[in-house]
Amino acid sequence: MDLFANLATGFAVAFTPINLAFCFLGVLIGTLVGVLPGIAPITTIAILLPFTFSLPPASSLIMLSGIFYGAQYGGSTTAILVNVPGESSAVVTCLDGHQMARQGRAGPALAMAAIASFVAGTIATIIIATASVPMSWLALKFAAAEYFSLMVLGLTGAVVLAHGSPAKAVAMVLMGLLLGLVGIDVNSGLPRMTLGIGELGDGIGFVPVAIGLFGIAELAVALGSPQDRSLLAFKARNLWPSREDIRICIAPILRGTAIGSVLGVLPGGGAALSSFAAYAVEKKVSRTPERFGRGAIEGVASPEAANNAGAQTSFIPLLTLGIPGNAIMALMVGALMIQGIQPGPQVMTEQPQLFWGVIASMWLGNLMLIVLNLPMIGLWVSLLRIPYRVMFPAIVLFCCIGTYSINNSVFDIWIMLLFGLLGVFLIKVGAEPAPFVLGFILGPLMEENFRRAMNLSRGDPMVFVERPISAVLLLMSLALLVILILPAVRAKREQVFQE
Amino acid sequence: MGARINLPDLAFGVLLIVVGAIAWMLIVDLPVGTATSMGPGYVPRGLAVMIATFGIVQCARACLAAHVPFPATALRPVLLVGASVASFALLLRVAGLAVTAAVVVVIAGYAASDVRLRENLLLAVGMAAFAVALFVYGLGLPIPVWPQ
Repeated sequence: MDLFANLATGFAVAFTPINLAFCFLGVLIGTLVGVLPGIAPITTIAILLPFTFSLPPASSLIMLSGIFYGAQYGGSTTAILVNVPGESSAVVTCLDGHQMARQGRAGPALAMAAIASFVAGTIATIIIATASVPMSWLALKFAAAEYFSLMVLGLTGAVVLAHGSPAKAVAMVLMGLLLGLVGIDVNSGLPRMTLGIGELGDGIGFVPVAIGLFGIAELAVALGSPQDRSLLAFKARNLWPSREDIRICIAPILRGTAIGSVLGVLPGGGAALSSFAAYAVEKKVSRTPERFGRGAIEGVASPEAANNAGAQTSFIPLLTLGIPGNAIMALMVGALMIQGIQPGPQVMTEQPQLFWGVIASMWLGNLMLIVLNLPMIGLWVSLLRIPYRVMFPAIVLFCCIGTYSINNSVFDIWIMLLFGLLGVFLIKVGAEPAPFVLGFILGPLMEENFRRAMNLSRGDPMVFVERPISAVLLLMSLALLVILILPAVRAKREQVFQE
Repeated sequence: MGARINLPDLAFGVLLIVVGAIAWMLIVDLPVGTATSMGPGYVPRGLAVMIATFGIVQCARACLAAHVPFPATALRPVLLVGASVASFALLLRVAGLAVTAAVVVVIAGYAASDVRLRENLLLAVGMAAFAVALFVYGLGLPIPVWPQ
């Protein structure tokens, strides 16, 4: 079996001391930011991105991905004990998890969240390993037209999943695409929208934009809203769920994993959507739906399985096609490009060590996480007692140093500040920055593939619907948009985001 | 009149029109080319027009919508976090990382309404030492430590 040979390669890479160390560092930081509300994994990855420059590519990606799925574990801890989601994907965990904690069953809730995440992480790792090879065969059939249509689908997905008005999300995507084009045009050598500023010749830096929007802006807004941190008293003694709890949860964990794995692969998908969908499904199939919201353990297990599975499978489009499906994956593209690697289907064949190493490290990372989260839960809980006013000045400083160190450029700091202020405005008017960032990173790629496809077809736009794969991708985007406009779905979507 | 406007949507629409218009002015001189062989101006022009159109529609819809006030914005954290970042940009090359880091932390600290003077100063000194140790001596970033 090729799969086993590939996984063997992967584990050989992941088991080297340096990669084990960075995997541990990643999941440790991930758990930390997952536990702490107010710091999202996307902010953390953006801040740490510049510092991965000097690492080998595999170690860099292993650490950054560890932050992402590690945060899914940590987020549930805060949700259960404080009733504040540590991460957006842990919002639904609050519902039943916190009720369980109030009934004195915080231990089993925490343990079940970790067990569900681990099971889901293990299955998702296997799914990534098996799905990646056929996906990359498909990718070999891709020409410029298919790439363009695939990116359209990715951006449509980002619009559908953005909170708030879809029209605003589309406008944000367009602005991202436009600002992504700033800099010297590769084909003609002419500067575009650079205002004659030399530093803008290479385009607006991705890291200052991401840190400004996700770091500085979020901090400034979070500080303006009251912080509620009433921690429930928690004793680390009765941690284990009963035999009955485990029996109830087996099917929900598997269902959650399946839902998360599918939704994670979809463009725009990822952890948060998966957990919402899994909770809704559990409530629907349950024989006792009235228990939900009152401390039903399967209401913790299924969404936690789903968000972890979704976090991991959202790597599939990135690793096989080179297309980021969500904003965090867009940052991973940035991480690869810093290393001089152009993401795409060729990564699997040209860099098998990197590709399989990252996949194998995910399973190892999940193993580390269960150890980090169960026996050491008390440590994380005590972290929640650190006041926010002490934490955030340090974060501001890290944002500055991180942005500066990419190019040793003070100009980048001003860009970060500009996008930080813009981000505050956007949050206030209800426009989410994630679609913008996705458009920003895809802008140059999309333009290039659009130009190439149109050039090959001698200016005939029908090329995008005449090629079958491209047509299917465009049809899928169209279907997503139609579904979004249907009034019934619209009402449901608003309801889901309300909860 | 004024009581009927959705102000956040209107503000966003105005931003879109401004972005579209500025982009148009910056790219109007670039060659557009043809659909077969596009010039550097082709795609940006299309985007600028689409953005401005979205902006106009947003503004029109906002003016006809029920009244929504602009959400309350706490200016203190925005201004002080902004000032703290600006101080980093202005000071780093002149004063070195140790001093700059401390100043950044002190200014940012005042963005929180429950700031405590002694705690903040202690944090500033601690973070300055930590940043120098980690980034300059640990990771070897080429950042000056002391005033030039």
